[in-house]
Amino acid sequence: MGLFDSLAISASGLSAERLRMDVTAENLANAQSTQGADGQPYRRKSVVLQAVGAQGGFAQALAAAQTANAAATGDTSGAQPGGVQVAAIVEDPTAGRRVYNPGHPDADGQGYVTMPNVDTVTEMVDLISASRAYEANTTAMQTAKQMFTKTLELLR
Amino acid sequence: MKVQGRAALHGPVPMELFDATQQLLMGALRGAATRQSALAQNLANANTAGYQRVDVDFHSALQQAAEDMRSGADSSPADLEFRAQADPQQMQVDGNGVDVDVEAANLAQNGLEYQALVSVMDARTRILQSAIGAAR
Repeated sequence: MGLFDSLAISASGLSAERLRMDVTAENLANAQSTQGADGQPYRRKSVVLQAVGAQGGFAQALAAAQTANAAATGDTSGAQPGGVQVAAIVEDPTAGRRVYNPGHPDADGQGYVTMPNVDTVTEMVDLISASRAYEANTTAMQTAKQMFTKTLELLR
Repeated sequence: MKVQGRAALHGPVPMELFDATQQLLMGALRGAATRQSALAQNLANANTAGYQRVDVDFHSALQQAAEDMRSGADSSPADLEFRAQADPQQMQVDGNGVDVDVEAANLAQNGLEYQALVSVMDARTRILQSAIGAAR
């Protein structure tokens, strides 16, 4: 069912962008955390997104098989858009900034503190990008809803 | 007997309820709905690295079907299956091919087109209702 599909696709986009926003908020909140869960400075996290059915997964293989089969039988239903999913939340491996602050409890022998590798400006840009993408998905959802409502008006 | 009016120009007036126009309308509606999914997919993956945009070119499929009908083929445009096609291009450094502004414009255009199709379908239904005396 085409229109319900597009609502589900937009919903997957909404939750992906919300997760991106959550992770960015976590990065910002921990911009000064010199002790993470493992005792090391906090590491910046980022979300890896993946199109559903992309990158050689089972769904793609199935769709390809269906396409090959469809060519033989004349049936062209099969691979359809499926939205977006979160592939992983990965930590940024770059080294953190070292700040001279001998009074800090986490300062090393030379008086330097390793700060988290979070750049506030990058996080703000990510935040805006996620927010705009979220809006784009709500617009797509709104359009699908209008289309569906219009179709229902046929029954009046 | 001399045939007059519209029939004289175009041959016999079609008597079936689901004439060529109705079948093309039904095909176009399904095409626009499928395209809506494809465009929603593009927007959902606006931040997916390496994602390539997809689109459904249902206009040319319908045009082909209309030509087939005119040449007397026995297939109905209402039975057409539409499929999202990859449309590779690069917009961002991470290999993503989605231009959010273009997608938003396509989405708005497709939505309006769908609504226009539904309006035409609605008007045709009302004409039929009027003809059979069931109009309110």
